[in-house]
Amino acid sequence: MKNKIIMFWAIVILSIISIVIIKVKPIPLGLDLVGGSRIVLEAQTTDTISKITQDMMDGLKSALENRVNAMGVSETMVQQMGEKRLLIEIPNISDPKLAREFLGETAELEFKKPVLDEDGNVKSWEPSGLSGEDLNKAAVGTDPAGRWIISLEFNGKGATKFAKLTREFKGYPIAIYFNGESISEPVVQAEITGGNAQITGEFTHDSAKKIVDLLNAGALPVPAEIIEENTVGPTLGADSLHKSKFAGIIGILAVMVFMLVWYRVPGFIANIALIIYGLIVFAIFKIIPVTLTLAGIAGFILSIGMAVDANILIFERTKEELKSGRTLFTAINSGFDRAFTSIFDSNMSTVIICVILYFLGSNIVKGFALTLAIGVMVSMFSAITVTKNMMHLMFGTGQLKHPFLFGLKDSDINEAYEASETQRENAKFGVLD
Amino acid sequence: MSYSVLNTKKFIDVIKYRWIWLIISFILLFPGVIAMIWSMKVYPTHTPLLVGIDFTGGTIIQYSVDKEISTAEIGKIRLDLSNNNIDNPVIQILKPTAKEENSQIQNIISVKTKFSSNGQNEAIDKVSEVINKDYPSAQLIQVNSVGPVLGKQLFVNSMIAISLALLAIIIYLTLRFHFEFAVVACLALAHDVLFVVGVFSILGLFYGVTVDSLFITAILTVLGYSVNNTIVVFDRVRENLKFYSKKATYNELVNVSVNQTLARSINTSLTTLLTLGALYFFGGVTTKDFVLVMILGVIIGTYSSIFFANTLIALWNEKAEAKKAKIGE
Repeated sequence: MKNKIIMFWAIVILSIISIVIIKVKPIPLGLDLVGGSRIVLEAQTTDTISKITQDMMDGLKSALENRVNAMGVSETMVQQMGEKRLLIEIPNISDPKLAREFLGETAELEFKKPVLDEDGNVKSWEPSGLSGEDLNKAAVGTDPAGRWIISLEFNGKGATKFAKLTREFKGYPIAIYFNGESISEPVVQAEITGGNAQITGEFTHDSAKKIVDLLNAGALPVPAEIIEENTVGPTLGADSLHKSKFAGIIGILAVMVFMLVWYRVPGFIANIALIIYGLIVFAIFKIIPVTLTLAGIAGFILSIGMAVDANILIFERTKEELKSGRTLFTAINSGFDRAFTSIFDSNMSTVIICVILYFLGSNIVKGFALTLAIGVMVSMFSAITVTKNMMHLMFGTGQLKHPFLFGLKDSDINEAYEASETQRENAKFGVLD
Repeated sequence: MSYSVLNTKKFIDVIKYRWIWLIISFILLFPGVIAMIWSMKVYPTHTPLLVGIDFTGGTIIQYSVDKEISTAEIGKIRLDLSNNNIDNPVIQILKPTAKEENSQIQNIISVKTKFSSNGQNEAIDKVSEVINKDYPSAQLIQVNSVGPVLGKQLFVNSMIAISLALLAIIIYLTLRFHFEFAVVACLALAHDVLFVVGVFSILGLFYGVTVDSLFITAILTVLGYSVNNTIVVFDRVRENLKFYSKKATYNELVNVSVNQTLARSINTSLTTLLTLGALYFFGGVTTKDFVLVMILGVIIGTYSSIFFANTLIALWNEKAEAKKAKIGE
């Protein structure tokens, strides 16, 4: 009995620790609940790039990180997946198209020189050798007339190239191309040697800022294509979160009412065990931390059903033992031991499936598998400690005086069929023989 | 037959009516199998299920609307989109089960079109323009697009995952029980998965319900739940065989074991269905099909663990004993 009381307080302390952890640590929510973009990019080989190397991927990754950071949202993530793919997650963006605009663009800035005909008119444009790679930095500004401009600052090599270009084509137009589109075609007034230039086009503040951000982030070292995208708007995310919470609460309450009506006092104990189970699971979610997604919530709610299953197995078995006329103490013990072999085997098979899902599944599947596996394992723990100890503390020893406390009828007791002896030591490990 | 040794009330004679259970299983599975074969013939993808963009590649753009949308209106949206050069648009209306007065999301218009890596934004803009013309309050809430290569990989990976899960379960059950229990548990599992896949194949043919990667997750959960249920009954058979095999016949013991675990089987399914039901009726629109798979799986899993698996294990044993008797002669 003394052990049981120590155990009881241990459970109380564990619950309090769990509550503190739940209160203190925030739970990270998945993109499908807060809204955001999840994008998979794949580096593409071209005529000049025949093989994607790890160096290229590192360059691509840092260029994309710069771009994502330029969007000014927190908790973004860029991560390599396999040999030539990058996974990018950007939470809390309100415009579903924004991410694609930022990531899909290659940010190629190119200065082109004119090809002139006999009369000195521009026939076509050809590359001048001066490009975004020669930039030090770009900034948004305004000219004296109040129009938005982009000011460029070249590095040493770029400044030399730019001086040469402006000397050569003094009095003629040059063209500035961004991503293959001409954004400005100014006429060179004088040779520029300082390494500074300004682009005056038809910019709004936003369009100028976007180009500047992309230029500063740097061009992508290899072209990358979006091969998968999932963007959830904030309205849908909030709606899903709200509804899942509501459904979860309704589901748990319904289960609790059922347990109370069907199993009476043990049902009450099961409900307390269920609450403690929920606290521990959530505390573990926060410690790991598990990012809660819609599929993850579904996995958790399903694991509640399985947690209750452990209690149902124990209670049904205990009822059988009571019917065969055992005292409370032995009935609870052997009911528990007998039930545990099934609990162990059935839960282990679920855990095996979760492990396979976790390693082979896509991201959504991973979240589901993780929450379900944690749920199943904690449910075994809560069945062993919480339910069993509280049953003993609540009922003590001796004969069951009031069968209705167990949802049994007086006539059920001693209705007797033979109950076999259990070998307790082995049964603990889920083995009978 | 007397069950004086293992007296239980609420008696279901599983063994006696075993042909009936097998016929019921056949009736449950047959339409689904026909639907799957038919689907493989008529779908361009030659799959037994109507597969979504997760497997074929494509783009789905969804808008929330705060009013009801009729079938005629769906036709109009489709026509308008086609006229605006949107490739082969498929329109679906998703509805949350529980209506909430102040929710912005009363209905969801879902537009499916082909995947394009570049020019995706222009396509979205075009679709938005068409939708907003008729529904000014419509709001872009979700964009989901998958390239064709990735879709194929997902399919292959899912098949690998399911095969590995099956193999792992056979190994585990052979270690913990006997080989015949492992085989029967897997047959029961195949029974359950076939039923659920069959139902979705029918839903695909008649209502255009597509399956995505979440469906695979749900099927894997059904797999886990089914094994879980079967194991609980088999565990009892294992135990009774150990203690009473001298006092009762194999078939009697199987029968008794089923009945002893009956209350648990029903109660556990009920509690699981309570939580799943809450998710189905009050949860988000996006997980509705996912939850439906699991509801179907729990119901069929309970049926098969009580009737189907035990019928098979008894039949197996009879065959084995008949063989033994023959050798004995």
